[in-house]
Amino acid sequence: MRLGFNLLFGGFLTAVVILAGALAPWLAPFDPVLGANLMNAELPPDSEFWFGTDSQGRDVYSRILYGAQISLTVGIVSQVINSVIGVTLGMTAGYWGGWWDDLVNGLTNVMLAIPSLIFALAVMAVLGPGLVSLLIALGLTNWSWTCRIARSSTLSLKSQGYVLAAQSLGYSDLRIMFTQILPNMMGPILVMATLGMGSAVLSEAALSFLGLGIQPPFPSWGSMLTDAREMIQLAPWVAIFPGLAIFLSVLGFNLLGDGLRDSLDPHMRTRKA
Amino acid sequence: MLRFALRRILQIIPTVIVVALLIFVIFSVVPGSFAASLFSDGRTNADPQLIARITAQFGLDKPLHERFFTYIWDLARFDLGTSFRTRLPVIQMINERMWASLELATAAMVFAIVIGVPLGFLAALRPGSVLDTVTMIGAVSGLSLPQFWLGLLMMLLFALHLNWLPSFGYGDGSFRNLILPAMALGVTPLALLARTTRAGVLDVMNSDFIRTAHAKGMSETAVVRRHVARNALVLIITTVGLQFGSLIGQAVVIEKLFAWPGIGSLLVDSVAIRDIPVVQGTILVIVLWFLVINTLVDLLYAAIDPRIKQE
Amino acid sequence: MFKTLSLAAVLSLGTATLAWSADEPRHGGTFNFTAPYGSAFSTLDTHSSPNIQEQFLTFAIHRSLYSWDSNANKPVLELADSVDVSDDGTTYTYHLKKNAVFHNGKPLTADDFIFTYERLATASNALSGASYLSIIKGVEEFGSGAATEIAGLKKIDDNTLEVTLNAAGNPGFNLMEATTAIYPSDVPLEQQAINPVGLGAFKFKEHIPGSQIVVERFDDYYEEGRPYLDRVNIIVMAEGSARDVAFRNKEIDVSILGPVQYSAYQADPELKDNLLEVAETFTRNIGFSQTQVEAFKDKRVRQAINYAINSDLIIERLVKGKAVRATSWLPLGSPAFDSEAKPYPYDPEKAKELLKEAGYEDGFEFEVTATPNESWGVPIVEAILPMLAEVGVTVRPRPIESAALGSTVQSGNFQAYIWSNLTGPDPLTVMRCFWSQTPQSACNYTAYSNPEYDKIYEAARAERDPDKQLELLKQANNFIQEEAPIWFFNYNKAVMAHQPWVHGLVPNATELALQPYDDIWIDDTAPESRK
Repeated sequence: MRLGFNLLFGGFLTAVVILAGALAPWLAPFDPVLGANLMNAELPPDSEFWFGTDSQGRDVYSRILYGAQISLTVGIVSQVINSVIGVTLGMTAGYWGGWWDDLVNGLTNVMLAIPSLIFALAVMAVLGPGLVSLLIALGLTNWSWTCRIARSSTLSLKSQGYVLAAQSLGYSDLRIMFTQILPNMMGPILVMATLGMGSAVLSEAALSFLGLGIQPPFPSWGSMLTDAREMIQLAPWVAIFPGLAIFLSVLGFNLLGDGLRDSLDPHMRTRKA
Repeated sequence: MLRFALRRILQIIPTVIVVALLIFVIFSVVPGSFAASLFSDGRTNADPQLIARITAQFGLDKPLHERFFTYIWDLARFDLGTSFRTRLPVIQMINERMWASLELATAAMVFAIVIGVPLGFLAALRPGSVLDTVTMIGAVSGLSLPQFWLGLLMMLLFALHLNWLPSFGYGDGSFRNLILPAMALGVTPLALLARTTRAGVLDVMNSDFIRTAHAKGMSETAVVRRHVARNALVLIITTVGLQFGSLIGQAVVIEKLFAWPGIGSLLVDSVAIRDIPVVQGTILVIVLWFLVINTLVDLLYAAIDPRIKQE
Repeated sequence: MFKTLSLAAVLSLGTATLAWSADEPRHGGTFNFTAPYGSAFSTLDTHSSPNIQEQFLTFAIHRSLYSWDSNANKPVLELADSVDVSDDGTTYTYHLKKNAVFHNGKPLTADDFIFTYERLATASNALSGASYLSIIKGVEEFGSGAATEIAGLKKIDDNTLEVTLNAAGNPGFNLMEATTAIYPSDVPLEQQAINPVGLGAFKFKEHIPGSQIVVERFDDYYEEGRPYLDRVNIIVMAEGSARDVAFRNKEIDVSILGPVQYSAYQADPELKDNLLEVAETFTRNIGFSQTQVEAFKDKRVRQAINYAINSDLIIERLVKGKAVRATSWLPLGSPAFDSEAKPYPYDPEKAKELLKEAGYEDGFEFEVTATPNESWGVPIVEAILPMLAEVGVTVRPRPIESAALGSTVQSGNFQAYIWSNLTGPDPLTVMRCFWSQTPQSACNYTAYSNPEYDKIYEAARAERDPDKQLELLKQANNFIQEEAPIWFFNYNKAVMAHQPWVHGLVPNATELALQPYDDIWIDDTAPESRK
């Protein structure tokens, strides 16, 4: 019963975020950047501005809709990079073993030892604030668990009959990895990526708070929240709605990830650090 | 056991070396410099003479490879260098800040254990009950909250509206100052602990020997006390250890928000002004802390469950 | 009869006491001061830091030869009772205060000045005070090691110091700087970073890194009857929201306000009467690169931007009135400020016209390098973005960390930048920033060069008559307004909220947060913890 709830509610929240982002140009009553009008600054929610306006006189509702695009971009792109790095390293390490395996293992240990937020902070300091920097920073930081899962899955799949059969047919290593092994471990990888999307969105908010977030005037939820923290008493709506948006979307990704994991493999344990 | 312990401890060394190299490389290409950052607030006009003098004083005008060898040579002698900003040994600055961080992390962890473990335990004993559902939804929600948003809301509620607690800072080190940041920081490990405890307990409960114990007619309380608790403990200890190890790194945001004088805020401030020796030193200490705790957890684990050593 | 009389006496005594407590400073108590410019103190050795944050400590513990008189807006003698100036204006003979004693009991002598200035001047020490001393003869030679002593410093006797300058001028602006504070010659320098010893009204008690510095009343302070306070806690609090909560909770006695808090405090009947405001000598501006963007070489384009932005609206709505509209480079408090000058009016039509004349009727694009600062950073660029779009100009913020702003601007690697620059107190130093001989790395950040301007500036520099010099500087400032090498945004209005029991704060236009701790006192309405 819980399994169904996680999957359904998580899927519902995620779908809302995707729809909000995709339909933002049609749903948003105002332009998120040029729609600014200082005469309308800091108005509380009403029938015109559903979530009120911010200090620049921009419609918070419109900005949250457009912000969904950024959050989704951050979540998806960073996790694609993570998965590609993690799977490539983990799968090859597990399949080939030897010095390469040792090297990948060592690298994974190093990455696990540096807290991901601190590593992302360092990368952002080098690349400077901005969306592309953020995607790179978050894409480079969280692949170690994916790598470990890919490696251990490969190790167990390597001795499966169909893999051995493919080897005896003389298929190349890469072909075997990508056609025989990869499809069979997509489940756990997908779960990791879904859960990772949530932490990427949270990291974006944390980095924004530390002054290394996304390039304004793009309406990222993290930077909206950070901008609003001085005004939380005067204009609480400016802080509450982006905070809620982050919370609900991350909750959606997490529930979806949990639900996917439970449905794929009820015995799999929480391994998220 | 001794050999296993020795091997695990020695494994820390290469990791630390690679981390040290990695952060050296990252921060040698970072834009901006400490000397220039002195003038970024526009409150004093830039002083090219001073910038040149500072650059020379810290040897930043030397070629990269020369700086690299100095850095490695110093590290080999456990010398973390001298801060650009304070002109004090980095190790001394870290020592001044480390204890506040440890205090915060410990308090957060205690908060998480005291609430998270019993909740997870109770939830597992009655799977599917209201308590279980609420606990698990609460746990996943706890993992989905932006920490500083939570901290900010707590600050407003408990410090400003209710006026129960001081809102920020270390004060004179009193417990009251610790409560809000520790709770804000503790939410994530709390949620994780509740989930892990529940999963661990459920796992043990469904295992064969518990079914046997039930079949033998042992009472519920006896089963829980004798078998479940002990077996789930291993998992809980592991989670606690891992969380405690990474908590100091995670505390960066909370330390900044609550103006807590720990090494997390020292790190962020040092990155902002490009005080590179301090940045390198704090990251190394945070990493070392993580590795040491992890190793201890492994050793403890091995002591409880001797099969691990063969792995 | 006797009874009645005594009652009357008691009554009159009572009223007298009451009147005394309202007007006369009360001795004793603890003052919880906040240091808002960073989350820690860099160092206790205040020579090593040019930043305001450390000056909060300097003001309590140390004294320099001169100090800033916030009410008269000029430097005044601090550590000397009088000074004799030679006819050519280059030799200053200081008669030092005889009752000035360091916290370790050592009386102040001329040796302490020589000791301190030699330390600052030594190049390898890389201390920011060095550049202030460079007005003294022989500092350059001593710094580079070519001389073993500073030629311009001479000890006549223990209480008399002779200072020779390179050129005639008032050394007060330079020798009042906190980074030139006098250290005792008998305390090892490394001790100053651990347990600082100075001449100030308060002596160092303890430092909890990242949290606070505690200083206590120094009983042998040279000024009679000062300080009033027994103890000052200088609490580090960089987060505006944290400061706000703490102030409302009465945990701290003063708080520097940001724009949002300023408007909130003004609206709050309990808080609005205890706000101290001053227009500080900082000019917020957007500098247009003369080298990176072709369009900015045309004066009409630069003027058009000044016309196209509704600065008053931004100040009113976004900055919440916590700023004064800038007319030109020199700020309100500057002696050479021209009160007749009018700022650029908001006139988008005029802007379009000018752009058309300059050949940019289809607009152009530029990036503004900006830090996250709420009053002179990305939020301001976000606000001008729709206004410039109106006249066809596309502007994008290029966010940058605060640490990288200085080096980026000094290296000329920008199309435009938004910054807050110190534009006081000395107008001659300030107007030097548009002189073509000033390098981009010093303060001619836009690499502005105009022979006409150079002529006016050089004339002002050569002028010995102070009134005529001011007139020329005024002319230079108006010339810059017309030339518009920058967008003139505003002069900061600094606002400090204080609790009703705090007295003796002054409107310091160079930096409101710097307050003379020795004049501050708290009355008996303060909470128990402060009394």
